[in-house]
Amino acid sequence: MKRRTFVMSAAGAAAGMMIAPRMSFAAKGTIDWYTGSDTNVLDFWANTVKPAFEAANAGIKLNLVDAGDNAGIIAIAERAIAAKQTGTDPQADYFEHSDPLLPAGAIEAGIYVNMAKAGLSNYARVNPLAIQSDYSLPYRGSQVLLAYDKTKLKPADVPKNWADLVAWIKANPGQFVYNRPDKGGSGGNFVRRAIHEANGRDPNAFTVSNYTQEFGDEALGKAWKLLADIAPSLYDKGAYSSGNTQSVQLLSQGVVTMIPVWSDQVLQAIDQGVLPAETGLVQLQDLALCGNFSRAVVLDNGANRDAALKLADFILSEEMQGAILTELGGFPGVSWGHISPELREKFADIIPQSIPTFPGGKWEAAINDGWYRNVAPSIDRKS
Amino acid sequence: MSEATKQAVRPLVDTAESRRPIGLLFVAIPVFLVIWLVIWPAINAISRTVWRKDKSGEMGFDLSSYAFFFSDSYSLDNLSITLWTTLVCAILLLMICLPIALYLRFSRGRLAAYVQALAIFPMFVPSIILAFAFIRVLGPNGMVDILFNAVDLPKIRTPYLTPWGPVIGLVWDNIPLTVLILLAGLGSVANQSIEAARDVGANAVQVFWHIILPRISNSILVALSFSVLGIFSSFTLPYLLGPASPEMLGPFMQRTLREVQDPVGAMTQAVIAFGFCIVFGLFYVRSVARSREK
Repeated sequence: MKRRTFVMSAAGAAAGMMIAPRMSFAAKGTIDWYTGSDTNVLDFWANTVKPAFEAANAGIKLNLVDAGDNAGIIAIAERAIAAKQTGTDPQADYFEHSDPLLPAGAIEAGIYVNMAKAGLSNYARVNPLAIQSDYSLPYRGSQVLLAYDKTKLKPADVPKNWADLVAWIKANPGQFVYNRPDKGGSGGNFVRRAIHEANGRDPNAFTVSNYTQEFGDEALGKAWKLLADIAPSLYDKGAYSSGNTQSVQLLSQGVVTMIPVWSDQVLQAIDQGVLPAETGLVQLQDLALCGNFSRAVVLDNGANRDAALKLADFILSEEMQGAILTELGGFPGVSWGHISPELREKFADIIPQSIPTFPGGKWEAAINDGWYRNVAPSIDRKS
Repeated sequence: MSEATKQAVRPLVDTAESRRPIGLLFVAIPVFLVIWLVIWPAINAISRTVWRKDKSGEMGFDLSSYAFFFSDSYSLDNLSITLWTTLVCAILLLMICLPIALYLRFSRGRLAAYVQALAIFPMFVPSIILAFAFIRVLGPNGMVDILFNAVDLPKIRTPYLTPWGPVIGLVWDNIPLTVLILLAGLGSVANQSIEAARDVGANAVQVFWHIILPRISNSILVALSFSVLGIFSSFTLPYLLGPASPEMLGPFMQRTLREVQDPVGAMTQAVIAFGFCIVFGLFYVRSVARSREK
């Protein structure tokens, strides 16, 4: 063979190999699963869900793919819309976490399965507080809780509502810290809890579209007063850490006794020994701190639609939902009644009566600006 | 005439007409990059903050975002803490780095090599790692507190989350560059002139004041304007170690853009920061021009 023909045929073969996977159809019986979440979620699926699901459903395999981020998921959904129009295979069956409203028009295009009508045997177990759309399936969540040092604060004396918390903070100056609201959700949702407190503890009072300058100034102004009031009793007379991790660090160094934390972050920190086993967790019982859910989406035109629905049903089973608590450190997507009794008892203090949420959009900008102007500098820390 | 000079047909500085285009071509690349990546965005930002849509949607000349910045006590506090941090850092850097540079210039041996390695070391530590190490060492209940506690000394008032936090971090971070520039400047101080001064009876202070300082004043200016430019617009260390409020312009700009979703406000802050940096930059340009003239 001449050198030139050899080079050409080798290049052709290489090009062919690159094109080949794009031309092949998704293997029957292998669910193409995509996630845009962090590595800990992918690890959880690879080590816990995949073996259990494949053992329970002979003949179905799970192909776990990291789409990078949520934008990656949206790109695959756009491909699925195009595939639907041409009647081809989108090579995607299951999104671990996505918003069915994205990309715009996806539901109208008919690429997502209506979960409420899909006949899932476990659908009735889903926590009704978490359902946002018929086209997505809440299966794990995380919420902000209060973590405290049991060696300094007896579990019996832990404040369980806002008034007690404020009284405790003032009685124990320097022992509480929360991070700046824009630098991490734990402090951010603590600030939002104060906004709820100042406005009649009604999360429904705030929606994405009801921000106006007047309403915002009035509603937030009351919350800034509450927060400015406790500021002198916070760590270092009103210092605010610059992120979720830094708050956990202050708790682990024994500097403060109590901080707001994300549930999954604190459960993992305890599991890995970053925080000692004597770390207690508590949720406010009059109105919980805010949280959010991850919602799975199944593609209607995927080649393995029925197998993907089996997977969606499987992830809601008691076994998997318990594993989300113990392995992932997340919150179950099902109501707490569908969690095994011993786990329910272990996590009794952090079970919320409600899972409030707070809208983003203009509210977010107003909170981030207002807190810095009104709460952060309000006292003289030099004294 | 020796052999070597005979062979050197072409002088080192070639002013021949035919060679000019190549020289200009070499210069063109950085000049083009500076125009594309620095000057054009700067002009763009300035024009977009002064020439923008008003409430009725008409484009027009509008200085309101600047008026807001300079009438808003919150923004002014942030500006003044930035200037304060920059000034304190510059003074501390000079106080720390000048003795180190003098020591390294006039000592020989293994110890000096170790000191030099140690002084350059911060260059290789990313500032985010520095920030977390700082929290563990100087933070509350950190290593210093534990050591003090072991010998029955009281706890220190930790600089973490106070204006002194970024100052300590930034000074440490800027030591290598400052030491290197000062050391380069000290290289131009001839041993003979110092020996001559000593021979006529000058003591150490007089040698420093009359012989060394005049020769390195240019390097000091260059070193300070370099570190001041970096400190003024620093982000990571003030973000992680500084207080929530007042905050330095770096974190303030980033927060205004992303968290407060106010691009015009952020650009205004950037233009104002740019204005201050130009003033520092002029010192540098002037001192370089002055040393070229010599």
